[in-house]
Amino acid sequence: MIIRGEDIIIRTIARVLVPFIQLYALYVIMHGHYSPGGGFQGGVILGASMVLLFITHGYAEVNRKFSENIAVLFSSIGVLIYSGIGFLCLILLGNFLDYSVLYKLLNVDPAHARSLGILGVELGVGFAVMAVMFSIFFDISTGGVLPEDEEERD
Amino acid sequence: MEVTLLVQAADDAFRILEKARGQAVELLNTATKLTSDTRWMEEKKIQAVLMGAQKKKSGLQNFAVTFLLLFAFWALLSGKFDTFHLSLGVICSFVVALIGHDLLFANVRVGDMRVIVQRFFAYLPWHIYQIVIANFHVAYLALSPKMPISPKIMRFKTKLESDISWVTLANSITLTPGTITIDIEEGEFVVHALSEKLADDLNTGEMEDRIAHVFMEADHIYIQDVLDVARIFAEFR
Repeated sequence: MIIRGEDIIIRTIARVLVPFIQLYALYVIMHGHYSPGGGFQGGVILGASMVLLFITHGYAEVNRKFSENIAVLFSSIGVLIYSGIGFLCLILLGNFLDYSVLYKLLNVDPAHARSLGILGVELGVGFAVMAVMFSIFFDISTGGVLPEDEEERD
Repeated sequence: MEVTLLVQAADDAFRILEKARGQAVELLNTATKLTSDTRWMEEKKIQAVLMGAQKKKSGLQNFAVTFLLLFAFWALLSGKFDTFHLSLGVICSFVVALIGHDLLFANVRVGDMRVIVQRFFAYLPWHIYQIVIANFHVAYLALSPKMPISPKIMRFKTKLESDISWVTLANSITLTPGTITIDIEEGEFVVHALSEKLADDLNTGEMEDRIAHVFMEADHIYIQDVLDVARIFAEFR
């Protein structure tokens, strides 16, 4: 079980850096189809920022912002977005994840629809990877026993 | 016989008097307690109003400044200024600021932010000059054949108050060649210094004074404090 670290230098620097790391992660996700990066990389950076907050500020602080239940919800939502866009293309008489047929819904030309479709899929991948990365770290560090459970048992 | 009766009567009278006195004292006590209770509650109420006003104001300010900073960072990273990408940036900055607005500016009043940033940039040239001096000193220590070093670990209590100024001081010490901050233990710095001169330089406390000036701490009156209180008192009136 990771407890709140007492090193004030590390805690303060992490506190200041975490919002910028998160924004950088979102930038990597959103610009995945122009530049290196994409859903998986951005999601990992986003998960890493949460892990950094978890290491430096401890369980209670992170649980207030991003609890395990929300992590589970986010991982399912991510997969839902990915497969939803994939099956939407199937329904619109294209192939699975053939984004160009989305132009019928989005009211733009097929090339633009392809770009938007990739953005949506990458958003889904980013959500899922972030939540799963965080919950893997969460499970390993707590050993599956939450502080609330321990209080109940005592 | 009559004497006994008399004594008994006197006793009874005394007892009744005692009882009445006890009741009166009890009554008085309750009354005092009640007034002090109401006063305490009223004081609490005023305190809550004051705290609430301050917290709400600083929360909103923190959110706005965090959002603007993050959006500027986004524009710097993205470099695409069409409507689509800028609106994506607005959404992303908004979400991140919503999650983390209490992270970036915990323990710092945003009202003082402008002054702090100005003074911080005014502090940098002096600090760079110190780094250059210490660089030459450490080079002299390394190159001279006798190698006149006297490594030591020193502890000193700081007069700085907030965590961000502690961290600035710690990083300033570490950035200066020859000295390294090992730890901060409840306001006590543990610093390793390579030679007597470097330790003496640190002991004069000039760096600490300058950082106290940057963050407006230690015998500094907050102008923002006075302004806040004035507005709240005007509301009460």
